[in-house]
Amino acid sequence: MLGEAEERKSWGYKEMTDIVMECKNLWKTYEQHLIAVKDVSLQIGEGDIKLIFGPSGSGKSTFLRCLAMLTPPDRGDILLRGECLTKAGTDLNKARTRIGFVFQQIYLFRHLTALGNVELALRRVLKLPKEEAEKRALEALEEVKMQEWSHHYPSQLSGGQQQRVGIARALARNPDIILLDEPTSALDPELTGEVIDTLRDLAKKGTTMLIVSHEMPFAREVADEMIFFDEGSIIETGPPEQFFTNPKSERAKKFMARLIKRTKRE
Amino acid sequence: MVEGVLTTLSISVLSFLLGMAAGLLLAFGRVYEKGSRPLVEVFEKFFRGIPELVLMLMFYWGVGSYIPFPFKNAVFTATFVLGMRSAANQSQIFRGAIRGIGEEQMVAARSLGFSKLWSAVHVMIPQVFVFSTPGLGSEYALLIKDSAYAFVIGVPDIMFITNSIRKATLDPVTPYLAAAFLYILLTFPVATWLDAWGSRRKKKLGL
Amino acid sequence: MDYIIEYLPLIFDGFILTVGVSLFGIFAGLALGIILALGDSYGGRIISTLIRVYVEFFRGSPIIIQLFVFLYVIPTLLNFRIDPLIVGFSIFALNSAAYQKGYIKGAMDAVFEDQMTAGLSIGMSKPQIIFYVILPQALRIVIPAWSNEYCSLTKSTPALLVIGVRDLTAAATTIIGQTYRVLETYVFIAMIYLAWITVITKIMDIVYEKKRIPGIEISA
Repeated sequence: MLGEAEERKSWGYKEMTDIVMECKNLWKTYEQHLIAVKDVSLQIGEGDIKLIFGPSGSGKSTFLRCLAMLTPPDRGDILLRGECLTKAGTDLNKARTRIGFVFQQIYLFRHLTALGNVELALRRVLKLPKEEAEKRALEALEEVKMQEWSHHYPSQLSGGQQQRVGIARALARNPDIILLDEPTSALDPELTGEVIDTLRDLAKKGTTMLIVSHEMPFAREVADEMIFFDEGSIIETGPPEQFFTNPKSERAKKFMARLIKRTKRE
Repeated sequence: MVEGVLTTLSISVLSFLLGMAAGLLLAFGRVYEKGSRPLVEVFEKFFRGIPELVLMLMFYWGVGSYIPFPFKNAVFTATFVLGMRSAANQSQIFRGAIRGIGEEQMVAARSLGFSKLWSAVHVMIPQVFVFSTPGLGSEYALLIKDSAYAFVIGVPDIMFITNSIRKATLDPVTPYLAAAFLYILLTFPVATWLDAWGSRRKKKLGL
Repeated sequence: MDYIIEYLPLIFDGFILTVGVSLFGIFAGLALGIILALGDSYGGRIISTLIRVYVEFFRGSPIIIQLFVFLYVIPTLLNFRIDPLIVGFSIFALNSAAYQKGYIKGAMDAVFEDQMTAGLSIGMSKPQIIFYVILPQALRIVIPAWSNEYCSLTKSTPALLVIGVRDLTAAATTIIGQTYRVLETYVFIAMIYLAWITVITKIMDIVYEKKRIPGIEISA
């Protein structure tokens, strides 16, 4: 049985992709001694779904935030559809409207309803009129199947529901790419399922995504490529099967072994 | 001026201590003896809902004319009024601390066989103090500042002496600036020190 | 107590003045307090230090001193006279602003970190985030402190009689001067203050309930 990713590949889809996002030689250091991201280069094409995984503290989240220019890198370039974001004078706010970000801690706006959360960017950044912003926001909520809850406040929603609204918020502006930073890690186990289902739906629709996650079954099924990240660098990349059957690098081998042992125990 | 500072300080400190003693009684009473609630509430409403200066005038000139001792003594009346006001405030602070500490401590103590009173004193009070330091710090600063009202009923505190100096020297600038400086000097360090002491104790006790 | 009746107009005038000064103080203090909080958070080192000096002065000294400083010191240094009434209004506003800045900044800092990051991620600029995300939450959090502040202000208004402004307490002293009914008058005036504060507290409780959004509360 082929997973979705394999199916798309078999159509030759991968050969003719536009590069949506690209970073070259990215470096990020904290406080002189802590190097979080070491000389990382990566390309993400149209419709790609790439998953970054690795031990905690390896710099994956930092890397993701650099890509969205939430934490600007110290060195290196980031290009969004060819446009360089790291150049001085770039309108970062405009650029960020084309990048969707989903946080591990969700970070919904507590004083707004689900609908309010999703339409805030549409109304205040894209300056859409009220009716149109509301319409698009509701569409985004429908995509994550939360449209019935549009008038609830975040504190009235479960963790999984909140995260789905977070995804809708990222989707609402039709971004070129969505970056997800461990979207399920902060949720209780029974709630991760709904978020993963949502992401699977998005993958089916061809959304370009770069995900940092530990959810291995999901990765195996949906990702085009998996990227093993350790100590600030990309150690190994390849299709999911490679990691699950025979990783090439020692470190990836060790990590996968520990992971499988842990899941076997559960 | 030195006597003025001493007077201000003594009024503030005395009313603070008075407020603490009464405040503890009120707080614990209200939390642990349901029957006392209405009385405590009335007391608090009265002394927190009426301006301090009005209370001072009322007690000194009003009550003082019927009960000259001790109310015709300005220092006493000022300390009394501020002490009661402070008790009402501190009661609130302590109640918040008691709520923050939670039921378990009292329940644990009672289950070991200690009486309500003993538990309150030996188990709760030490903890309550550690929790209340920020509130108490600002209450102390408030007392120093509100002591200035006392000059209206004739207490020779900083405010009173400042006014005398101004009348004597006809210099409106220096006395008031000096007084302002003095007050700030009195309020600032103690409040900050109390706060720091509280945080250190909290860390030490793992709270 | 009937003697009071002929003085009711006087009492009423004093009451209006007291309420006027306190209301002006709380609202002007709110506006100024927001500006100070924003200035302290985003204005850079020099502005922060200036704000700190301002706050220390107004929070560390009695309001009577502040009234005198404004009434005597500033005019003498700058060589013109200010009407005591204006002094009263200004000082209450400036004083309240110093306190309100503290509450507001505290609330802003509490929500700041994650809400700012979230706002950036959807492409909003910093000013937009402050206005549409951080302030709406911070201002709701401070409502209880704000109602407390109003009570504080009201209880400080008797200081006005010391600089010659005819407030409610000044009305009381006038009445006593004419009728020699000391205790009754003071008790009556005290009850007016008490009633006013009780009413306001109740109103603020209702406002808090209406504006409350589940999930935005003061941390205990």
